[in-house]
Amino acid sequence: MTAQEVRLCGLLLREHFGEVVEKVGTHLLKCGAQNLRTIIHETGLSVDLVKKSLCVLVQHGASTFSSGRKGPGSPTEYHASCDRILRILRYPRYIYTAKTLYGDTGELIIEELLQRGHTTMSSTVKTVADRLTQNMAEGLTMDYSEVSSTFSKLVETHFLQRCPPLPRVGNKDSSAPSETPAAPGTPAAPVNTAPPTPESFPECYKVPSVTLIGRGKRQLASEDGEEQRSAKRAKMDPETHGDEGIYWQVNFERFHLHFRDQTIISAVANKLDQTSSEIVRTMLRMSEVTTSPMATCTKPLSANEIFRSLPPSYNILRPILDQYLTLLVDDPMEFVGKAGESGGGMFVVNLHRALANLARATLESVVQERFGSRSARIFRLLLRKRHLEQKQVEDFAMIPAKEAKDMLYTLLSQNLVQLQEIPKTPDYAPSRTFYLYTVNQLPTARMLLQSCYKTVANLVERRLFETKESKRLLEKSQRIEAILASLQVSGAEPEQLTEVEEMITAPEKQQLDTLRLHINKLDSAENQVDETIFLLESYINSTNASS
Amino acid sequence: REERGGGRTMAARGRGQRTLSFTMETVKGDAPPPSVQQPTPVFPVMERKPLPLTGGEEAEYLLALKQDFRGAMRSLPCFIQPLVTHRDVERYSDKYNRSEQMDKLLDWAPGEAPPTASDQSKISSIHCFFRIYPIRNQSLEKKEEQETSEDEEGETKKKQEEEEAEGEEEYDEEEFEEETDYIMSYFDNGEDFGGDSDDNMDEAIY
Repeated sequence: MTAQEVRLCGLLLREHFGEVVEKVGTHLLKCGAQNLRTIIHETGLSVDLVKKSLCVLVQHGASTFSSGRKGPGSPTEYHASCDRILRILRYPRYIYTAKTLYGDTGELIIEELLQRGHTTMSSTVKTVADRLTQNMAEGLTMDYSEVSSTFSKLVETHFLQRCPPLPRVGNKDSSAPSETPAAPGTPAAPVNTAPPTPESFPECYKVPSVTLIGRGKRQLASEDGEEQRSAKRAKMDPETHGDEGIYWQVNFERFHLHFRDQTIISAVANKLDQTSSEIVRTMLRMSEVTTSPMATCTKPLSANEIFRSLPPSYNILRPILDQYLTLLVDDPMEFVGKAGESGGGMFVVNLHRALANLARATLESVVQERFGSRSARIFRLLLRKRHLEQKQVEDFAMIPAKEAKDMLYTLLSQNLVQLQEIPKTPDYAPSRTFYLYTVNQLPTARMLLQSCYKTVANLVERRLFETKESKRLLEKSQRIEAILASLQVSGAEPEQLTEVEEMITAPEKQQLDTLRLHINKLDSAENQVDETIFLLESYINSTNASS
Repeated sequence: REERGGGRTMAARGRGQRTLSFTMETVKGDAPPPSVQQPTPVFPVMERKPLPLTGGEEAEYLLALKQDFRGAMRSLPCFIQPLVTHRDVERYSDKYNRSEQMDKLLDWAPGEAPPTASDQSKISSIHCFFRIYPIRNQSLEKKEEQETSEDEEGETKKKQEEEEAEGEEEYDEEEFEEETDYIMSYFDNGEDFGGDSDDNMDEAIY
C-alpha cells in the first residue's frame, strides 16, 4: 500500500462516505489491523462515529474483521482493504456494462448493489421495481418477477455472488448461528490466517427460492405535508420473503474478466478487422466457463469447433476462416497461438501475452506523448533489444548522437530507462566498463501505475478545490432551482418564473457554466485514467499469477 | 554539485568522496547539463500538450453515471456527517438531547471498558458481531436539499452473536438514557416545531 494509494483511497472514501469514514478508513490503511479501542484512541473520534464508520466499511466490503492476534480471547481486529476501495473508481464502468448486457433492469440492480454494499435479493428487487416504475409511462408498473429473473441471470453468469458468512471467532458454538442459514458449516478455525474467498463456499451462486409477488409502486408526487410525514415515519415491513440473511454483493472479478475480454476483442478489431475480432470473440465466448480466471491462455479449441460456433450472421467459408486464424497467429501482438494440428488446427487465445503486449503499447504511448516520437523510438528499441550501448542506440534509432544522448538522459532521469553496468575489470573503472541501457517492462508498469493513482488523486483534489471555490455560487443556484421547481409544481405564471431566473446574473451564469465544464472534464479524465489503471493492474496481476 | 551525482551512478564509490571518478578528458562528448539547485516548479511549462479526452456517447454516459452515483451516495445513510450543532445559545436540554441526533441503530458496544470521556456510557461491554440490514430511506432520495443526518429515519433490524457477557444490563435508551426521571420528549425544547414545512412557500404560516 503506497502513499499514493492511501491518499486516493482517502479521497474516494471522503466523496462517497463522508469525512468521518475517511478518517477511520485511512487510519486503518496506514496502521494495519487494529481493534476498536485503539482506533477510537488514535483517531480521536467519538465511539459512535467510529462504530458507524466501521459498519459502513464492513457493509461495503472495504473492511473485514477477524479475531485478534493474541488468540481467541483478544478483541477483534479490523483491516481495511486498499484494492477494494480503489474499485470505487470503476463503478460507472460496472454499471454501464450491466446496462449493455442486461438492459436497464440490470443496470439498476448493479447500481443498487454498489450503493448499498450488501443487500438481500428481495429488497433489491423491490427498490429496482419501484425505480423502474417511476420512469415508466403513466399507468404502467414493473413486475417483480421480471426484475427477479434479471437478478437470477446476473447470478447465473456470476456477476453477482453471495456474501461469505461471517467468520466465527472464538469458542461460542452452542448458540444458534443467526447468519446465513443456507451457508454450509462455517470455518471452525479460531484464528483466520487468510479470509475465505466468497467462492470457497459452494452455495455462492445459488439463487434462493424467494416468494416475491407484486409490482413496483409509483411514488406519487406528494403535495401536502401529510404524505411526507407518513413516508418519513419508520415503516415496519412485515413481509418476509424467505431469503432473510442471504446477502449479495457484486463480483468484481467477473466484471474484470469481461473487461479484459472486451479489451482484447477491441484491440484485435483496431489492429486487424471486424471479422478477426468476431473470431476472437467467439473463441473467448466458448472458453468462458472452461478457463480459470488466472489462466495464461484459454483451453485449445479446434478450428472445426470455432467454425461451428461462429455467429450465424458471419457465414464465412471454412478456408477463409483458416486464413484468418493463420493471420491471427502470425500477428506480432500474439493474441492467438497455435497449440497443435489435430481437428484442423488447435488454437488458443494467449491471455497473458495479450495483456503484456497491451501494457507494453500503453507504456510506449506514454513515452511518445510525454517525450516525443523519437524518444518513443528509442524506448521501443530498448524494449525489443533488451540491452544496448549508447553508440548502438544512436545507430539503430538513426538519431544524431547529441540528441540521442539528451533523450536517453531525460528518460533515465524519469526512471523509464535503467543503466546496467558490466565491468571488464574487477575495479569497475569507468573506461573499462560497459554501460548498457535497458528497459524492464514490469517495474516500469508498476511505476506508471503509481503515477496513475497520483494523477487520479490530483484530479479529485482539483475538482474538490473548484467546487469549494464556487461553493457560494453553487448553493445560490441550487436554491433558485429548488424555488423554480416548487413554483412550477404549484403552477405559477411565466412572469414569476422569469423573475426568479433573473436572480442569477449573466456573469454568474457564465461562471457556473465554466465551472460545470471544468468539473465534467475532471470527472471524465478520472474515468479514462481508470481504464489505464485497469490495464496495468491486469497485466501486473497476470504476471504475478503466472510466475 | 555534479560530483555527487557522478559518485553515485558510477561504481567506484567512496564514502563522501568528492572527486570525480572520471575526468572530462576521458569522457567523450559534451559537458553534462547544469545541476539543479532548487525543487522543480509546481506547474512546469509543458512542451507537449496532452491529448484531448475521448468524447462520445459512452464517455458522456459514464460521466453522468459517475456524478449521479456520487450524488446518490450523499443522501444514503452510509454517508456519515460529523456532528455539527449550530446552536447559538447553549441550552439545558442539549445535555439530554445529544443522543437524539445520532441514530439509535447500534446497540453494539466496544469490547473494552466503556470510554470515560462520554457521559452517556451505561453501555455494557459485550462483544457483538452483527449484520446490519440495509437501511431504507424512502423520501430522502427525492429531496436534493436535505443533507443533514438528523433527518435520517429508517428501519433496522440487527442480530447479535454474543461472545462474552459481563453481566451488565442494557438500558432501554428511550426512557432511561441519562438517569433522569423524565421521558426523552420532556426535553424537547420546541425548536423543531414547524421547521419541516419550509418547502412550500405559498402556504401561509400563522
